[in-house]
Parts: sequence; C-alpha cells; structure tokens
Amino acid sequence: MIYHTLLFALAAVFALWAVMARKLLVSAIMLALVSVCVSLIFFDFGAPWAGVFELSVCAGLITVLFVGAVSLIRAEDEKRPENRARFYALPFAAAIFAIAAWFYLPAFVEELAAGAKIGSGGGSIGRALWGMRRPDLLGQVLMLAAGVFVIKSVFPRRTQSK
Amino acid sequence: MNIFSLDWYLIAIIMFVGFYCMLASRSIVRQLIGLEIISKAAMLTVISAGALSNNLIYAQALLITMIVIEVVVVATGLALLVKNFRLHGSADIWTLSSLKG
Repeated sequence: MIYHTLLFALAAVFALWAVMARKLLVSAIMLALVSVCVSLIFFDFGAPWAGVFELSVCAGLITVLFVGAVSLIRAEDEKRPENRARFYALPFAAAIFAIAAWFYLPAFVEELAAGAKIGSGGGSIGRALWGMRRPDLLGQVLMLAAGVFVIKSVFPRRTQSK
Repeated sequence: MNIFSLDWYLIAIIMFVGFYCMLASRSIVRQLIGLEIISKAAMLTVISAGALSNNLIYAQALLITMIVIEVVVVATGLALLVKNFRLHGSADIWTLSSLKG
C-alpha cells in the first residue's frame, strides 16, 4: 500500500515539477518521469500490457518528440521567456485545492465506488482486444492514419512554380 | 480515507496541476505538457476504476486506445508548433490563428 501511494505521490510531484520548471527541456524530462511512475502504477495494479505501452510509447516516443520540438524553439524561448509569476502561484493554488479536496472529495468518490458493478475479471487481453473490441482496433488504425495525414498536410512538399 | 479514495484524491491533484498549466501558459509546448498531465490523470482514473470493479482486462484495452490517441494528438500539436515557429518564429498559442488558410 505504501509503495502504491508513494508512486501516486511521486507522479503528482513530477507533474508539479514539469509545470514549474523554467527550462522546457527539464519539463519534458519530468513529463517522462511522470510517465514512468504511471507505468509502474499500471504494473502494480496488475495491468502489464498497459504498463508496457505507457513505458515505451509515452515515456519513450513522446519524450523524443518533445525533446526534438524543444531543441528547435529553445533559443527563442530563452531570448523571450514567459512571465513566470503565474507559475510561482501554482504551489499555493495546488495546496488550497488539496486542502479543499481532502474535505469534499472522499464523500463523492465513495458514493461513486458504491455504485460500481463488480465484473467477473476473467478473459485475456488478447480476447478483449481481438475478439470483443475489434472495432476499436479499426478506430485506432484510422486515428493513426489521421495523424499521418495531418502531418502531411501541415508540411506539404514544396513545388517550384514555373 | 480508504486506498481507492486516496488514489482518486492524488489523481485529482495531478489533474488540477495539468489544468493550471494549460490555463496559465501561452506556450504551445507547455499547453501540450498540461494536456499530457491531464491525460495521465485520466488514464490513472480508468485503471483505478477497472481495478475497483474487477475489470482490468477491459480497462487495459481502453488504455491502449487512449495511448494511441494521445500520441496522435501530441504529434499533431508539435507539428503545428514547428509550422508556426517556421512562419512566425514564436511558440505563442495566439499566433496559431494566423495558420488558417
């Protein structure tokens, strides 16, 4: 239980750090650490497939994309830095939210949990993905195709005008 | 407070941090970082609810879909950032409106 809660707390701390960091590169690395914590939470819950996807795609691929984009705009960002005053207020705002949530959230969450219908817990991820949720896979392929088309349309091939 | 309530309490704090980041910043990169943090909180909510209702298999299938969508959204957002930066030399989200055709 302590390990489980510690991972959640670490994810919250790294998220706060990612937002508060002055340098965008530090923000990207902290975001990767949030992903690592989230994937460890998935493993702890007994969801290894989601953990592997989270670790390889979110902590790996997305971090590479962020670092690439940050390295492009870093010089400009350091030349004209953003106003940091609003970010310095974040710990205080988060503390106020945390205190308010400590008193008001548990009752709401326990009411939600009381309405949960307990499932059988059987089956395998293969059956869930390939048997019962096959239309989702079509949706995922179409989603990836949509992403490729967006990037293709954002960066069209330059044609020389005659 | 039981373990499920404590999980959701910490998830709510993570989500608040993500929303604050999106509200406070005008940089496209920070907007995407805020979106990522909110998406992580949403994923934790799904897996926690799946564990509570003993439906981890379906929660995992849903999470894999969410991860794919997240990657596409981030790649598209960063592509818009690069395009905007090439045109205006700025990562300000308000200059994105000038990309319209």
